[in-house]
Amino acid sequence: MFPTLHLRSAWRRLGVVALLAAACGAAGAGTFTTRPYSNVAPNEKARPIEAPYYGDALFHFFQDRYFTSITTLMASQHFDRVAQHADEAEILRGGMLLSYGLHKEAGEIFAKLIEKGASPAVRDRAWFYLAKIRYQRGFIAQAEDAMSRIEKNLPAALEDDRLLLQTNLLMARGDYAGAAALLEGVAQDSPIGQYARYNLGVALVKSGADQRGIELLDAIGLAPAADEEMRALRDKANLALGFTALQNARGAEARTWLERVRLNGLQANKALLGFGWAAAELKEPQLALVPWNELASRDPSDAAVLEARIALPYAYAELGAFGEAAERYNAAIAAYESEGGKLDESIAAIRAGKLLDGLIEKNPGEEMGWFWSIGELPEMPYATHLNQVLAGHEFQEAFKNYRDLRFLATNLKDWEDKLGVFGDMLDNRRQAYAQRLPQVQAKAREVNLSALQQRRDAVSGEVERAVRDEDAQAFANVKDRELLDLLAGVKDGLKSLGSDADAQRARDRARLVAGALTWRLAQEYPARVWEAQKDLKTIDTELAQARQRETAVATAQREEPVRQEQFARRIAELAQRIKALIPRVAALSKDQQQEVQELAVAELARQKSRLAEYSQQARFSVAQIYDRATAAPRKDDDAGKP
Amino acid sequence: MSFINRFHRSFASGLVLALAALHAFAQTAAPAAPAAAASAPAAAAAAAAPASAPLASTLDGRIQDVKGDVIRLNRDLLVLEEELLFPANTQVALFVSMDVGKLFSLDSVQIKLDDKIVTNYLYTPLEVQALHRGGVQRVYLGNLRAGAHELVAFFPGKGPHERDYKRGATVKFDKGTDPKYIELQIKDSSGKLQPEFDIKIWQ
Repeated sequence: MFPTLHLRSAWRRLGVVALLAAACGAAGAGTFTTRPYSNVAPNEKARPIEAPYYGDALFHFFQDRYFTSITTLMASQHFDRVAQHADEAEILRGGMLLSYGLHKEAGEIFAKLIEKGASPAVRDRAWFYLAKIRYQRGFIAQAEDAMSRIEKNLPAALEDDRLLLQTNLLMARGDYAGAAALLEGVAQDSPIGQYARYNLGVALVKSGADQRGIELLDAIGLAPAADEEMRALRDKANLALGFTALQNARGAEARTWLERVRLNGLQANKALLGFGWAAAELKEPQLALVPWNELASRDPSDAAVLEARIALPYAYAELGAFGEAAERYNAAIAAYESEGGKLDESIAAIRAGKLLDGLIEKNPGEEMGWFWSIGELPEMPYATHLNQVLAGHEFQEAFKNYRDLRFLATNLKDWEDKLGVFGDMLDNRRQAYAQRLPQVQAKAREVNLSALQQRRDAVSGEVERAVRDEDAQAFANVKDRELLDLLAGVKDGLKSLGSDADAQRARDRARLVAGALTWRLAQEYPARVWEAQKDLKTIDTELAQARQRETAVATAQREEPVRQEQFARRIAELAQRIKALIPRVAALSKDQQQEVQELAVAELARQKSRLAEYSQQARFSVAQIYDRATAAPRKDDDAGKP
Repeated sequence: MSFINRFHRSFASGLVLALAALHAFAQTAAPAAPAAAASAPAAAAAAAAPASAPLASTLDGRIQDVKGDVIRLNRDLLVLEEELLFPANTQVALFVSMDVGKLFSLDSVQIKLDDKIVTNYLYTPLEVQALHRGGVQRVYLGNLRAGAHELVAFFPGKGPHERDYKRGATVKFDKGTDPKYIELQIKDSSGKLQPEFDIKIWQ
C-alpha cells in the first residue's frame, strides 16, 4: 500500500550513467533521467580515440548493447588492440560487468587497477566502484574505507553518484543526521538528491525522528517537478506524509498532504482511499463519499479500489444510510467473489506459462541489459491484476534475469550453429590443402632454384671477367652480335679476294665498319656494364624472393597441418563448452521461470486473501446493519410500551 | 470505531511494510564484514571483501556465474572467429567515426575496395548518436592480399541547411602482412562551414 521507492534500481541506473561518464570523462554526462543517456550531450570524448577498437567498444556501449560491447572489448584486449586505452577499457569492462551483477569479477578488475598503480583519475574511479560493490554486497566498513581513499580526481559527473553512495552508507550506519547534513548541499532540482532525500525522510520517520523526516518529505512534496519521474516522486512523498499522519490520527494534516497527489498519477488510488479515511478520522464521513465514490468506479484490479468498495458503505452506515450501506456491502461481496474467480483464472494462466510468454512477446529486447523494463502487459485473462506485480522491483529483477537467460540460450545456439560452419570450413580447407599440396610440390620441384643459382653465378663470372678485361664485345647485344658475326664473315670472304683496288676498297670499308662498331661498343661499354650489373642485382633479388617463397611453402607445409589441427582442437573445445552451458542455461531458465511465476502467483494469492478479508468484513458489517435494523424497532416497541 | 481502526491498522501495516522494504535494503548492506579485511592492505582487501560475498548456491548467484561463463566463452569464440576467418596477414578493418556532426547528418555509407562494393550501411538514429558521442564503428572486416589497393567511400546524408549531401573520399594504400586498420572520419570544418571527410590509415 505504501509507496516504496526502488532505490536499488535507481541506484544501479545511476551507476551505469556514471560509468558512461567515467568511460568518456564527460562533463555533465551524469544527469539522471529514466532514459539513461538521453541527456548526455554529444561529443563528450575525454580525449581523442587512440585505438579504433576502443572506439568500437564505446560505439556498442553508447547504444546500450553491453553484451556486444563487453565481448568485443575483451576480444580486442586479447589481440592487444586497445593498449592505448588499457585502463579506461578496464574501467569500462568492470562497469559493464557490475551492471550485469558480476560483482566478483568487477571487483577484481578495479582492485587490479589500484594495485598496478593506475593514474590518479583511474584509481579514484576504481575506488569508487569498489565502494559501490562493497555496499551492494553488504560490506559497509570496507565500502566506507574505499570511499575514504577517493582523492580529488573523480570526474564531476560521478560526484552526485558518490554523494548518493555516501548518504546510503551513513543511513546504513543509522547516522541519519549525518546523511541529512550531507544532502543539505545538494540542489533541490537534482533528481539524485531528491531520491536520497525521500529515502532519508522515510528512514527518519521510521527511526522516530518524525519531525525531521516530515520536513524532508514535505519539501519534496512541494518541490517543482520538471518531468514525470520527479512528479511521481513528489506524489510518493505526499502519499507517505498522508499515511504517516493518518497512522498518527492527524486526519486534517493527512488530507492536506493527500490533496497534493495528482488524480491521474500512479498513486492516485491510494491517495483517494487515504483521503476518505482522513475524513472518517475527522468524524466527517460525508467528506469521504466523494473520493471513495470516485475510487469505487475505477478498475477493480487495484487493491485500493477493492478496499473502497467496503469503505464506501462504511461511510454510508456512519451517516445513518443503512439501506444504502447494506446494498453497497452486498454489491461489494459479489464483486469480491467475481474478482476472486478472476484471480484464480489469472493464477492458472500464470502457472501455464502464459505470463512469461506474453511478456517476452510484448517486450522483446535485443540484448541482455540492465535498462530493460516491462513496457506492455501480456495478453492473458485479467492482465490488469498484474499491474502491481509487474511494477515491483523484485519481479522486474527476476524477470530480467529470466530474459537474460533466454538471450544467453539464443546466443549459445547461434554459436553452436556457427561452430558447425567453422568446422565444415576447416574440413574444406584441409581437403583443399591436401589436394593442392602435390601440385604445389610438383611446381616447386620444377623450379630448380639451385640450377638457376648456378646459371646466375656463371653469368656473374662472365660479367666480372668482361669488366676485368674491359671486353666491350662481351656486352654486345643481339644486333651487335649479328653485326660482329657479319663482319667476321665479310673478313673471311675478303681473305680469298685478290689485291686489286676493288678488294682493297672492300677491305678498307670492312675495317671502317669494324672500327665504327668497336667504337660504338666502347662508347656504350660503361652503360652496358651498369645495365648488366643492374640485371644481376634484379636476378639476385628475384632469386632471394623465390627462395623466401620456397621457405614459406616449406614452412606452410610444416605448419599448416599443425595450425589446422589447433583450430580443430579449439573448435572442439569451444563446442564442448557450449554443450555444457546449454543445459545449464536451460535448467536455470526453468528455475527462474518458476521463481518469476511464483512471485506473480504469490502476489495474486495475497490479493485473494485480501479479498477474502474484505469479504468477511463486508459480511460482518451487513450482519451488524441487519442486527441494528432488527434491534431498532424492538427498542421503539419498548419505548411505545406503557 | 473498531472497524475504522482495523482499516487504519491495514494502512499502518502498509506503511510498516514500505519502511521495512527500505530498511531491508539498508540492511542488505549491514551484515558484519570480516573485521580483518578492513585493516588489510588496500587493494588486497578490495578484492577479498567483495569476492567472498557472492552466494553461488543461490539461483541468482548461479545465474551470475553462468552469465560470466557465457561472456568469457563469447570472447573466446570471437577470437577464434577472427583468427579463422580474418587472419592477421590478410585482415583489413574499416572504421567510421564522426566528430561534431553539426554540419552533416549521416544517413549511410558505401565503401568500395578496389572498385568492388564491400559494404552499404544504413544508420539508425541511435547509431548516429553513438558516433556523435565518440563511438567508432567497425563497419567492415575482411581480407586483402598484400600489395597496393584503393579504397573509395561515399557518405550520403544531409549537409548544411538540410540539403542532400553526398561526398566521397578516396585513398590508396599498401597492405603488408600486418592487419590494416583504416578509419573514415567525418569532421566539421568550422572554417569552411562544410563537413570534411578524411581517411586515416592506422597501421
